[in-house]
Amino acid sequence: MLILSRKLGESIVIDGRIHVKIVRVDGEVVKVGIEAPSDVPVHRKEVYEEIQLSNQKAVTRQSSPLPKLAVVAKIKTPVNKVGLQKT
Amino acid sequence: MKCVETIEVETPVAPPPNRVRLPMGLLGFEQIKDYVLLANPSEDPFAWLQVETNASLAFVVIDPFLVMPDYQPDIPEADAEFLGLQQPDEVRLFNIVTVHGPNRATVNLKGPIVINRRTHVGKQVIVANASEYSVQHPICVAETGA
Repeated sequence: MLILSRKLGESIVIDGRIHVKIVRVDGEVVKVGIEAPSDVPVHRKEVYEEIQLSNQKAVTRQSSPLPKLAVVAKIKTPVNKVGLQKT
Repeated sequence: MKCVETIEVETPVAPPPNRVRLPMGLLGFEQIKDYVLLANPSEDPFAWLQVETNASLAFVVIDPFLVMPDYQPDIPEADAEFLGLQQPDEVRLFNIVTVHGPNRATVNLKGPIVINRRTHVGKQVIVANASEYSVQHPICVAETGA
């Protein structure tokens, strides 16, 4: 891991096209500004990893039958309450 | 005289009707960009997002509003721009379902697949209000053997 020290307002350039700037320092919270081309996805790491793991668990080979969704699924218009609807 | 022979085939070779292109792939599956959206009526409301070049690889997806009617995902502007979304009715959402067993399934409400129904281009978006939703939101399944 490359470790660089930056002061408020200073920046880092990655691959000549991704810019990371220290925008604000508020106690323990550092606000980071990122400029990147639109084909470069940028995410908070913990949420990215959570979804990545979820996707990996979700991929299926279409062998097992799918569970039957309860009655709530058949309602096409919004309902007032969200919850279990027992058949 | 040269005759042009018409060869009849049983199944016409037509492009799949519901192709979806995910230029960034799915999180963790960034290299796979071309999918087909398929639905089997007996599995309604679940649908399949199947890898175009590998039919045995697929994700179960669902319209999230059927699971949570008041779902309000906050789609970041950069993502809406990336998808070229101009009107609200161009947005189609599908969320990935994890089937844990015959009676248990959850849906990822933090990272919906947002599709522009006009261009058939989509992206798995991390919603700005991700902290309000679960990656494993339970889906109510009917009791089997009831």
